[in-house]
Amino acid sequence: MVHFTINGVEVEASREENVLQVARRYGIYIPALCYHEAVTPYASCRLCIVEAKQGGRTRVVTACTYPARDGLEVQTDTERIKARRRVVMELLLAQAPASEKLWEFAATLGVTSTRFPSEDPDNKCILCGLCERVCREQAGVASISFAYRGRHRKLTTPFEEPPDFCKGCTACAYVCPTGAVEVRLARNLLELQPWKAKVEMAVCTECGTPYAPTAELKEVTEKVKLELPALNLCPACRRKIHAKTVVMGKS
Amino acid sequence: MPFLTDVRALEEFRAQARAKRPADARVICLCGGTGCRASGSATLRPVFERCLSENGLDGEVDFRVTGCHGLCEYGPLVIVHPQRYFYQRVKPEDVPEIVHESVIAGRPVERLLYKDPATGEVKLREDELPFYNRQQRIAMRDNGIIDPLRIEDYIARGGYAALAKALTSMTPEEVIEEVEKSGLRGRGGGGFPTGRKWRSCREAGEKRGEIRYVICNGDEGDPGAFMDEGIMEGNPHAIIEGMTIGAYAIGSHEGFIYVRAEYPLAVKHLSVAVEQAREYGLLGKNILGTGFSFDIKIARGGGAFVCGESTALMASLEGKAGEPRSKYIHTVESGLWEKPTNLNNVETWACVPPIILHGAEWFASIGTEESKGTKVFSVVGKVENTGLVEVPMGVTLREIIFDICGGIKGGKKFKAVQTGGPSGGCLPESMLDLPVDFEHLAEAGSMMGSGGMIVMDEETCMVDVARYFLEFLTEESCGKCTPCREGLRHMLSILTRITKGEGQPGDIETLHELADTLADAALCGLGTTAANPVLSTLRYFEDEYHAHVYEKRCPAGFCRELITFSIDPEACNGCHACFAACPTQAITGEAKKPHEIDQAKCIRCGVCRITCRFGAVKVK
Repeated sequence: MVHFTINGVEVEASREENVLQVARRYGIYIPALCYHEAVTPYASCRLCIVEAKQGGRTRVVTACTYPARDGLEVQTDTERIKARRRVVMELLLAQAPASEKLWEFAATLGVTSTRFPSEDPDNKCILCGLCERVCREQAGVASISFAYRGRHRKLTTPFEEPPDFCKGCTACAYVCPTGAVEVRLARNLLELQPWKAKVEMAVCTECGTPYAPTAELKEVTEKVKLELPALNLCPACRRKIHAKTVVMGKS
Repeated sequence: MPFLTDVRALEEFRAQARAKRPADARVICLCGGTGCRASGSATLRPVFERCLSENGLDGEVDFRVTGCHGLCEYGPLVIVHPQRYFYQRVKPEDVPEIVHESVIAGRPVERLLYKDPATGEVKLREDELPFYNRQQRIAMRDNGIIDPLRIEDYIARGGYAALAKALTSMTPEEVIEEVEKSGLRGRGGGGFPTGRKWRSCREAGEKRGEIRYVICNGDEGDPGAFMDEGIMEGNPHAIIEGMTIGAYAIGSHEGFIYVRAEYPLAVKHLSVAVEQAREYGLLGKNILGTGFSFDIKIARGGGAFVCGESTALMASLEGKAGEPRSKYIHTVESGLWEKPTNLNNVETWACVPPIILHGAEWFASIGTEESKGTKVFSVVGKVENTGLVEVPMGVTLREIIFDICGGIKGGKKFKAVQTGGPSGGCLPESMLDLPVDFEHLAEAGSMMGSGGMIVMDEETCMVDVARYFLEFLTEESCGKCTPCREGLRHMLSILTRITKGEGQPGDIETLHELADTLADAALCGLGTTAANPVLSTLRYFEDEYHAHVYEKRCPAGFCRELITFSIDPEACNGCHACFAACPTQAITGEAKKPHEIDQAKCIRCGVCRITCRFGAVKVK
């Protein structure tokens, strides 16, 4: 265990934790967009910058990748940090002006406008890469990847074609902080944009409602090594039938 | 079976190699560095070989194609030993004369000798040139002397003696101490003490009981910088020997040389050298019979500037996209494949063997208090003598630019020197007496970087220079973090607007704010220093920014949208040359009468000004 301070508050942490995790555990707010506890920190959005003093030297560091260490003194909201965060936020707003979620988030930091011109007024993506990480690390699929460099950088699918291995888990949409990934159900096809992914949905054998991606069901079935009839039903019908079984004692 | 089974065998081999190379031997050293190749040295090689053979001198004369000599401006360079005649700008038709006059008859070929542009004095030998006699060469000690493809040449010059000494008479701890005491600091730009880095890596490896890697960073990418290229091409064994000594000290058995693929000659020479070193038993298992094993793999970069950053380089070596990561946990603890990894730059590695051989005190006696030894600079731009210069730390910018490199081309006025590559800064005339070392350059708002120096004259617009470097960095940013990817893009667009005369009040303040954000919040070294060209030009040439933004004027007469060309009727004699050269027919006038420029048609390309031999075309 290590001990250090955040904004003067004494905190205890394990050496494996980063400053952002510790701060959150102690209820100290540090803004972050590219961070999610389910995936490896990436330190790309740079909003979680804090001032860290160690060995007499103060540096601006990203809380999401800075390891918890004994004797560290962290300040999360100095004037310097606030000024830098503000510019970073303005840059992000200029990059993804179409994201309502981003504007709402910016407002919580007191940023309600950006002085920088936008190159793409329809863009919602800030290239934080959460979708890419969750797809690779959690879904185990890696259907999304960064492509190109610098100002041409984008998140896309292999060869920019509809991804072969997308299971339709929609974790990418779930973690996206700016609403840049759109999920739409068109009959029994699940569409994920901008990935051009179209994933087949299983249809409930009782009511005909599409309820889960076929590929995901298949994976679950293979993993549990059981053919569960309940997996052919939508959650509502499953509940209904289960209730009937329990109450009326028939299957 | 390796050739050199122990140190005695190495020394015997060295004695034989030296015996074959007596001081009065006839040797021709043709520079085969990339600079001289660009001016045609590759075509000279077959001509020399044919000519020597025609004169029955095969085997009589040692013909060496060497690495870069340094004075690229005057290439191709040829030196004839034992008289050490120094010939410059040699053409194929000069070769027979060199062979007949100098090699056979021992006389100099006067017309090919170097003539001092200032005094007109003819110089016979390399060491009579101010360009060379003020240099002190450690990293480039064998450049221009040895054939980099022949390991015997290197061994005859004392090569691998330091390795033998380290392996047989020093403990790893002693090697580290020696390097620490020498004061050697990283030549790639960071200036981190090399010995301390080695120690951290060794300790991290020992604590975790893990394998360690050593890496040579040969991904030199700064515009106008070619120090590392010069060493990799000209003396690859110096790097291999340095790395092997480092590996021994750190306890590593596997090393990598990461070279940018745009240096095909460096890749070739390093590959040949590694092969030879293995053959000779100087790399691989049980080196020189000491039981220590170490081998090197060569990896080629894919062309990304950011891969010169250590963590991006390691990602690239691992086969991932070349992107940096946070370095809060240092690479000496968790680097390549998350193992303790020690990365040093080409020049740093090349400095190691002389330190071990001659001792830390010798090295520490050169340079300044905080910056020991020498540093190689590639001096380019508007100077008379472009090329590679190795000088002791602490030499002033003035000595490098004026005394060694001959001052500004065409008698123009010095304006600024950009040191440290694209992330460095532009220093003005008032800084010319600044001693060049890590501390002084950083204090002045620039940096040592890897040693690039771009000299600019009075006709250079500093706003445009800042714009140029930002354009380079915007293209080379990997795009991972927001300040670098987005911040640079907006800085570039503001600077572009300013150079087009569309600057607005507030632009300079916004540039400052973006620059501060980059310096504090960008992820890697590329981003945190990317604003330096803007900050340093704002610091020393703010009036030029003001002239652009508020007066819509480019004082250097460079930014097209802000200048006008006119013809001085007094100076114009109506020679009609500009009339013919103008691509838009904007110039009118009768022969032998002063001409005029129609501003509506003029595209301000400046061709008339270059064409006019009477200085009649003025720019404002």
